[in-house]
Amino acid sequence: MYDLHLTPEQLEFRDTVRDFVENEIKPVALHPDRLQPFEKPLLTELVDKASQMGLRTFALSEDAGGAGADDLTSCIVLEELAAGEVDIATVLGHTSFLGHVLFDQLLSAEQRARFLPKFAEDDRYHLAFAGREPNAGAGWSYHRALAEGGAELSAKRQTEGNWVINGSLPFVANAPIAKLLVVQARSDPKKTGANGMSMLLVPSDAKGLTIGNPPKATGEAVRWHQGTGASVTFKDCRVPGDHLVGKEGQSPLADGTLLARSVTQMAAINLGLGRAAYDAAVDYAKIRRQGGRNIIEHQAIGSKLADCAIKLELARNMIWKAAWAADHPDAVSDRSLPELPLHTMARVYTARAVNEVTLLSAECFGAMGVMRDMPLQKYVHDGRNTCTTDSYSRTRMRLTMPPNSQSRRRSRATSGRLLPNGLTGDERW
Amino acid sequence: MEARRFSDEEIRPLSVKRDQIEGGFEPWDWDIIEKGSKLGFRTLAVPKEWGGQGADFVSQAVVMAELARGDSAMSKAFSQNWKWSHLIAAACTEDQKERFLKPFLADHRYVMGRGITEPNSGSDNRLPPEDDPKAGFRLRAERKGDEWILNGEKCFIANGSVGSLFFVDARTNPDVNIKQGGTLFMVPKTTPGFRIGKVFNKRGWRFYQNAELIFEDARVPHANVVGTVGGASATGKGDNTGGDLFGDLELAANALGVCDDAVDLAMQFSRSHKRAGKYLFEHQLIQLKLAEMHALTEALRSYVMRVAWIHDRREPSANAGLVMIYSTDVIQRVTALNMEIHGAEGCLMNARVDKLVRDAMVWTHLAGDNVQRMRTLRKLAGKPVPVVSGD
Repeated sequence: MYDLHLTPEQLEFRDTVRDFVENEIKPVALHPDRLQPFEKPLLTELVDKASQMGLRTFALSEDAGGAGADDLTSCIVLEELAAGEVDIATVLGHTSFLGHVLFDQLLSAEQRARFLPKFAEDDRYHLAFAGREPNAGAGWSYHRALAEGGAELSAKRQTEGNWVINGSLPFVANAPIAKLLVVQARSDPKKTGANGMSMLLVPSDAKGLTIGNPPKATGEAVRWHQGTGASVTFKDCRVPGDHLVGKEGQSPLADGTLLARSVTQMAAINLGLGRAAYDAAVDYAKIRRQGGRNIIEHQAIGSKLADCAIKLELARNMIWKAAWAADHPDAVSDRSLPELPLHTMARVYTARAVNEVTLLSAECFGAMGVMRDMPLQKYVHDGRNTCTTDSYSRTRMRLTMPPNSQSRRRSRATSGRLLPNGLTGDERW
Repeated sequence: MEARRFSDEEIRPLSVKRDQIEGGFEPWDWDIIEKGSKLGFRTLAVPKEWGGQGADFVSQAVVMAELARGDSAMSKAFSQNWKWSHLIAAACTEDQKERFLKPFLADHRYVMGRGITEPNSGSDNRLPPEDDPKAGFRLRAERKGDEWILNGEKCFIANGSVGSLFFVDARTNPDVNIKQGGTLFMVPKTTPGFRIGKVFNKRGWRFYQNAELIFEDARVPHANVVGTVGGASATGKGDNTGGDLFGDLELAANALGVCDDAVDLAMQFSRSHKRAGKYLFEHQLIQLKLAEMHALTEALRSYVMRVAWIHDRREPSANAGLVMIYSTDVIQRVTALNMEIHGAEGCLMNARVDKLVRDAMVWTHLAGDNVQRMRTLRKLAGKPVPVVSGD
């Protein structure tokens, strides 16, 4: 049964994070000194503080030392965090999600025993996924043979069992702060797409691994992502044979199913951003007086704010539904829920809705909406960011694409209906 | 064509670099202003008999759009002077023209601005509420012999930190609404008791300087009153086709230049970048966006030129307001589509594409906000029926 009652734990989670955001994050993140410059380096002290509260490991199972948050709870936590600062939410969400996938699902008992204690104890132990998302570009190849392209890593097993990784990726989320990289590399060059990929664990201090500097916010091309990230380059980077996760040539992340759950969580981060903009606009409209009354009492402002509230609530409904569906896979098998990529629908709808909400909210501020010492212009910037990424169009296109089309030369006659499972995780956080 | 050359060769290369200067507003780029001024772009709208170019509205629109194609804010820094050239020509006495127009023409660094907005009066100045006569600007002016003593503060004032002359709206009678109690003064920057406050750090139009103007017992001679005391709003409009209406055309023409730039960028990008083995230009998804960008931009061009032409014929209409509103919607949409077409390349965005979106945001509160929309409608509907109080 679809139940919208939150558990006492979920409510407590939400209130705790909300307090942390109000008392700790907002005073720093919304300070004019922080808002004005183009460059906004990651607020690492706050990320560390959040880690100490358990927000780096909230999705990790309680057995493993985490809080065991399911998808819905994760979305609630991330919405709250993002209402304070999108980058902090993105970084923590990424580590928390990957930690859960790795330590609760993919690692062998022996690997878990080796890596988990460090991950659980060290507040600065972050994780990154370094691999080309297998369906990257799939939207552009809509109902056509998938065009290969984009950077890909290669991994070779040596006779003594070690792996040697080569290649580089232009952007890996969390790379600058990660202590462990989850690498997905092509181990069988004869195969294409998701086949022939292997997954390897690479500590960030491994020899032959170079992590670049995060992109700059000024220059000819400017930083355009949330969280933190950088290029990674592997040059004859060696890791022991037992760093292989799963089977050779069958990376458990290759088909994107596991990563798909992170898509809903990214949508929750966007939602938090939109809510922050809306809340600010409501507060301002209640005290700003023009036209003989507080501006919230004017039809023109009232209708804008109502539109914002509607869009945000619809986005939240979709996010919660998608997260709940991921937490209850039987709801699809018992035909309660349609077999649709709800997570992608949530992501696409939220991105667009939040972009609109940030613009409408900024309009309520008049000229103050474009002033750099005020938060609205940053919300608008962040809102644009999420809905104009290259992956956005492609992600949407995948709604009407056949599943696993990347491995087929010809698609079946399937156009005209929404296809299940044709979607995977987004390319990046 | 001179405007196009200047825009391509002088303005454009500075555009993104200038936009990205952190906080720093000093020194202003006087070089580009001087260069443009020598070509006549600062004084374009001053009548020929006073030594300006005396360009008609159609020419002004074309030049604004061309300059804005290089940099929207730099175009505005030039055309802001035209706005007040129109006002001087329409509303100032011969003595005032002698005292202010002459130095303006003589000095390549002489720029002007107007101070209306205050921290507590933005929309109230443009659309004064009928039920609140005290609403609107509060900067107080009190007569003392041959002088007026001004006290108060203006904010967001264009060319604020760099201007030599400001037109300042002040309350000469605080007991009636601004239409009857407001007076327009000419305030040179050397006025005793007048100083510049903070310069605003904006998301878009970063070349263009908006600042606080602070008046502490500032002494302005009575001879600097524009029009009549208590006639600020009537004076401000100048003649019905220039003055105030120029501002509306100005924003629309500037938006047109930005849209032209966005269309060029999108066309170039989609013809030079491939996705899935095909140029972006060959993808339906991109074709639909490009077609919309072209359609909106050309429609805006037609409307801008029509309004400029109407102005040249001195025909009063609400079209200037309408084209300004329309330009707000078009510039938002076209710059956003350009950004969608460019997409993020990995984790990066073309800086100029981002800049256009940021510049476009300025329109949402300046040109096409709620108040401008409602104000334009009033023009269309005719003058509002005066409300006669029952008691």
